[in-house]
Amino acid sequence: MKRSWYATPYALWMLIFTIVPLLFVVYFAFTTRDGAFTVENFGKSFRPVSLPVVFDSFRLAFFCTVICLVVGYPAAYFLSGRSGRAVVVLILLPMWMNFLLRTYAMMTLLERNGVINTILEAVGLPPQTLIGTEAAVLLGMVYNFLPFMILPIYTVLKKMDRRVIEAAEDLGAPPVKVFTRVVIPLSVPGVVSGVTMVFMPAVTTFAISRMLGNGNVYLIGDTIENYFINFSNRNVGSALSLVLMVLIVISIGLLRKADPKGEGGALW
Amino acid sequence: MVTSAARRDLRRRSSGGFKTLYIVILLVFLYLPILVMIGLSFNASESRAQWTGFTLDWYGRLFRDARIISALEVTVTVATLATVISTVIGTLAAIGMHSMKQGWSNLLTNVAYLPMTTPDIVTGVSLMLMFVFVRWPLSKWTMLCAHVAFDTPYVLFSVLPRLRQMNPNLYEAALDLGCRPTKALFKVILPEILPGVITGALLAFTMSLDDFVISYFTSNTDQNLSMIVYSAAKLGVEPTMYALSTLMFLVILALLLIINRRSKLEEI
Amino acid sequence: MYDEQRLIELRGVSKSFGDTQVLYDIDLYIRKREFVTLLGPSGCGKTTMLRIIGGFEMPTRGSVIFEDKDITGVPPYRRRVNTVFQKYALFTHLNVFDNIAFGLKLRKLPKAEIAERVGRMLRLVKMEGYEKRSVESLSGGQQQRIAIARALVNEPEVLLLDEPLGALDLKLRQEMQLELKSMQQELGITFLYVTHDQEEALTMSDTIVVMKGGRIQQIGDPKRIYDEPKNAFVADFIGQSNLLSGVMLEDELVMMAGKEFPCVDEGFEKNEVVDVVVRPEDIMVVGTDVGMLEGVVESVLFKGVHYEMMVATGDMRWKVHSTTMQPVGSRVGLSIVPFNIHIMRREAVTLPAEGGEKA
Repeated sequence: MKRSWYATPYALWMLIFTIVPLLFVVYFAFTTRDGAFTVENFGKSFRPVSLPVVFDSFRLAFFCTVICLVVGYPAAYFLSGRSGRAVVVLILLPMWMNFLLRTYAMMTLLERNGVINTILEAVGLPPQTLIGTEAAVLLGMVYNFLPFMILPIYTVLKKMDRRVIEAAEDLGAPPVKVFTRVVIPLSVPGVVSGVTMVFMPAVTTFAISRMLGNGNVYLIGDTIENYFINFSNRNVGSALSLVLMVLIVISIGLLRKADPKGEGGALW
Repeated sequence: MVTSAARRDLRRRSSGGFKTLYIVILLVFLYLPILVMIGLSFNASESRAQWTGFTLDWYGRLFRDARIISALEVTVTVATLATVISTVIGTLAAIGMHSMKQGWSNLLTNVAYLPMTTPDIVTGVSLMLMFVFVRWPLSKWTMLCAHVAFDTPYVLFSVLPRLRQMNPNLYEAALDLGCRPTKALFKVILPEILPGVITGALLAFTMSLDDFVISYFTSNTDQNLSMIVYSAAKLGVEPTMYALSTLMFLVILALLLIINRRSKLEEI
Repeated sequence: MYDEQRLIELRGVSKSFGDTQVLYDIDLYIRKREFVTLLGPSGCGKTTMLRIIGGFEMPTRGSVIFEDKDITGVPPYRRRVNTVFQKYALFTHLNVFDNIAFGLKLRKLPKAEIAERVGRMLRLVKMEGYEKRSVESLSGGQQQRIAIARALVNEPEVLLLDEPLGALDLKLRQEMQLELKSMQQELGITFLYVTHDQEEALTMSDTIVVMKGGRIQQIGDPKRIYDEPKNAFVADFIGQSNLLSGVMLEDELVMMAGKEFPCVDEGFEKNEVVDVVVRPEDIMVVGTDVGMLEGVVESVLFKGVHYEMMVATGDMRWKVHSTTMQPVGSRVGLSIVPFNIHIMRREAVTLPAEGGEKA
């Protein structure tokens, strides 16, 4: 079959609309407004003002990832047992749904005169400031990204040979030991994949922080959005994007070391 | 006397109860905000505080709002065209890559992972940089180019496994029975991979309907529905947006359920 | 059984995939209505040879001749040859009828004729009434029958079969062997059959082509291949044999296992080192006083019709088939008549292992 050339339109499209644009990011990151070479953009993206932003983004993303892991692992474990397919689908379905809509739904609950405060008032409690806090943003992130943690862990656990557990029991391991010595080590690839899939969108988000943070929480994503949408400085924005990408590539690379065979490659 | 077997049975049953409870709480967490929002979209009162009666008013307003109608038009046009284009070039690419030398096909596969692993915000920003640089006005057409770029990998990855599973002799059998190569492609290969093509097309359509971040950076003059929700959210919550979100949820949910029926979601 | 007329010829065909050569300078002809089997272990090049005749591969060198015309570059869809593929390669999106009718519809035959011919084929492969069934609902053996019908309905000059029975269980395989043979005789079509199963080859073929490492080792009818293997490889591959090295002392006298044996071969150099094959069923178990060799029974296996015994004589161990059992540890005599000793010239590639026991 001499059909190799059938891939040409795809290759061209990906070249023009994926690879070349990324090269533009690199180009703009290393030039001034007038097109002269510079590395100052990187310095500017680490100005004292924006350094806390970078720090906050990674801190929130880290907390979000930890919470998702702690909440998601048991869920994946229980689901991999004998649950019906319908339940699994229901848990995983939201990951494909527009995160903006889900965040909007979250806003409804957390707003100053939103559902939660209305209920609090009805039972005679003082209304709380929920929206506009870091906690609200964190909640929004966990709400959005939790299924991305559950899916890969579930996939790995589901594929795991149940006879391995029986073998461990047969060799005299009590349930707790079976879990810590056999199930957890075997599910590492899924965990690695899940951590990547949660951490990456969490650290780059901008809409969630904007909608649930009410301007009080400002992250890397918001900074980049600001640089571009308000045309304030595309060069510094590119530098920041590049830094973000490099940091992500490094963290994924480190994570992949824990899963060299890429077994948890459930990115999609 | 309780025998040890009975005790173990009891423990297992109570742990089964705990599992169920855990999953139920998780489902409530994932779906409650959405259900509340759907409920409020039928609330006569504009406040989230109290239920004052059932109305379809907000839906009515939705369809009288010129801005929303035009956004709907943009969303559907872009999603439809992006689906058609990405399905054609993605399917062709899969067939081409299937008959390619390993090295080349690996390279092109990795290119397809690029938009999946690059953070959406960086993808959006990079495309914006390029479009601005070559002075393409940011409109639904630039949005379309971007959507095709992130849709095509979904088509590719739905079709490629089908081709790999296909008995390599099928194509030869068609030639053996008197088919010319092009005819064999349509009469044998295409029907064989058709389920993958359809799943890929549905996925592409869903992703395109669903997208916010990349559209936000690649279009200026034309807004899609997600962008409308975002700009409305900046101003606070509004019941017409509940109605809009509800409709979008239902459409995407329906599409996802169809896709899931076709290919097990846990394998995606 | 078959005509003398040559239908297909391979002339000096070689084939390489990248750096690996899989066929070396093959010359072969197939006569009209002949049942030819390409026999050899996996990786011997037999399937590649079939695919070159089918038109799916181009030879690196050499040519394919069909009725005196060179068809080396002719694509498969213009060859009057059809193939039954190893894993059937049925079209799962079509039902049984449409699978069989596939080739006929491409030739735009009238509907009535297509229906008539498909019906005839279904009768031939004993699958009447299955027209509307989806091919995925059929068992392996039934799918195999449909694959054969789909190829035969086009009335090819040659039917190529690539290990068609490999996926079936033993009983079904033996049944299909007989059916294929009778179909071939009934239709008078040339069959080129690829297998690694020597029993299958011996049962069905008019002519067997034994291959190894991309080269033809021997061509001949089953009896000749079995009785007079041309070299140690053929002898070893065709049956379970005692294979040992010997020295030709003079015409009709060979020295092996430390003893002299009269045989029927001549024309060797004096003291030439040769390979000797003795089939297990050709060794007679006799009393120790009359045997040419004396040994101890090491093991006995009951094989249904006969017992398989390993008998040790000095350094040698012989595999012996006999209908009477000798207990393990008993001393027996072994005797071989001259025409059951097969002497073969030694080739550069020699015995897999010294001695009569297969590794």
